[in-house]
Amino acid sequence: MPSPAPVLEARHLVKRYGAEAAVDDVSFTVERGECFGLLGPNGAGKTTVLRMAHCSSPRTSGVLSVFGLDPDERPAEIKHRLGVVPQSDNLDDELSVGKNLEIYAGYFGLPRAGVQRRIRELIAFMSLEGREDAPIRELSGGLKRRLVIARALLNEPELVVLDEPTTGLDPQVRHLIWARLRELKTRGVTLLLTTHYMEEAHQLCDRLLVMDHGRILAEGRPRELVASRLPGHVLELPSASAPTGLPTGTTCEIHGDLAYVYCRSPEALEPLAAAAGSDYRIRSTTLEDLFLKLTGRELRESD
Amino acid sequence: MSLIDRPPVPNRVERILAVTRRHVYVYTRDFWANSFPTVLEPLTFILAVGWGLATAVGRMGGTDYLSFLAPAQAMIAAVYTAAFEESYGAYFRLRVDHNYDSMLVTPVGVDEIFWGELLYTGLKGVFYSAIVIGVLALFGTVHSPCALAIPLVGFFTSLASGSLGLYAVRFVTSLNQFNFFISGVISPLILFSGTLFPIASLPAALQIVARWLPLYPMVGLARMLNTGVFAPEWPWLLLYALTVPCLMAAFAVRLMRARLIQ
Repeated sequence: MPSPAPVLEARHLVKRYGAEAAVDDVSFTVERGECFGLLGPNGAGKTTVLRMAHCSSPRTSGVLSVFGLDPDERPAEIKHRLGVVPQSDNLDDELSVGKNLEIYAGYFGLPRAGVQRRIRELIAFMSLEGREDAPIRELSGGLKRRLVIARALLNEPELVVLDEPTTGLDPQVRHLIWARLRELKTRGVTLLLTTHYMEEAHQLCDRLLVMDHGRILAEGRPRELVASRLPGHVLELPSASAPTGLPTGTTCEIHGDLAYVYCRSPEALEPLAAAAGSDYRIRSTTLEDLFLKLTGRELRESD
Repeated sequence: MSLIDRPPVPNRVERILAVTRRHVYVYTRDFWANSFPTVLEPLTFILAVGWGLATAVGRMGGTDYLSFLAPAQAMIAAVYTAAFEESYGAYFRLRVDHNYDSMLVTPVGVDEIFWGELLYTGLKGVFYSAIVIGVLALFGTVHSPCALAIPLVGFFTSLASGSLGLYAVRFVTSLNQFNFFISGVISPLILFSGTLFPIASLPAALQIVARWLPLYPMVGLARMLNTGVFAPEWPWLLLYALTVPCLMAAFAVRLMRARLIQ
């Protein structure tokens, strides 16, 4: 059986604002039914990639196709099959929860007969029961976010694009959203998301890209990426107690007040830890370690 | 929630109407609070101008002063409602509530967002000018059944005025700058378009300018419809009234496209 066409394909994608390249030669494909993550510090170009994908920002050069269609030429058709969860909750403050969904359904030309049933399904799916008549201003951050996600699902999208879906939410809401996104995936919906949370990337993403300054730094499956680029374990201890002589097979990095000693096996790290006293931690290396290794530890201007 | 048979992509007109429908819904949800002031205004106008100023002025433009003012008053209502809706209102939708961003990720495109919005603004102009001329008719200021068409002129008046509002939205960087728009653009537009006095009383140079202001032909047409007496220039006024607001609207849509799609 031939593999189906990718849901999204970007080749040598470039977006410039004046002389500055927000996205600089980015290529990747998103296959049907997978969850694809874009990771990167603020200003890395993640949101710009999403905006080009949902036809809100024309590309400067390169190839981009969504459902096999060109966003420059067939935006309405692409957006008809797409769900978008933007970074900030741009709900319609003039409308109640239910009316937000009803009016939004109108933008997709959904037949009125089915809309109320669809709204009830989504209210239940995102655990928003009993809030149908609530004004938007009275909703908590978590409720707003769930409503934005429900709104993005009205047209039964084949691809849902999510820009930092759980930023600023409490752990309960975050886990609820993760569960719902996984459920969508089991139904064959494709997900493309950006996140700052490595835990979120681990929970959801089949594959991911690490980006910075508009370029791709690494691409792969989360576990394999970490395994291919970092030793399996790390000892974290105060930089003052950093070991002076390192045994073979270990590497040491010092960042501010902490030192990190990497090694394949945790056993080799234990003698070093013992010498440092009680203030240490040995753990598996994570996506976050890799992320910081790739993108550096200096602070970023927020975008 | 299995993948359903997807309904067809809505066509351009359906997408424009979906946007208009949103605005109409938001308006009608608060119908009385939104509409009652429009009824009140011509009533206070009648009290102040009808019993005060009109008595002092006497006749103007071949009719009593109140009948001279009534159709202009309907057009002024259409100017104001559109000017506010598409300046402060559009600014809020653009910068504060981000309504346009949320519409833009649906099949609705940026052009349709603003054509839908200007259509709504035009309909508001129909409604407001109808209320004003309707209320003033009770006081004997309407002299011809042709006046029934005045709200249609109100549509194009609001279209032009709303487009000016969107031009302002394109360039302001803070809400306070709309004061310049209201006192620097809308007020002179209203005062120099032959609303309160015939432009013949203006200096010759100003008359030429006034003749080209987008409100001038609207007031002229409304006044002719009000009396049923049509001056020979009426086809030109009609041509201007039908075309210029549409061109202004098309330019406003273009500006907003450049503002939103980057």
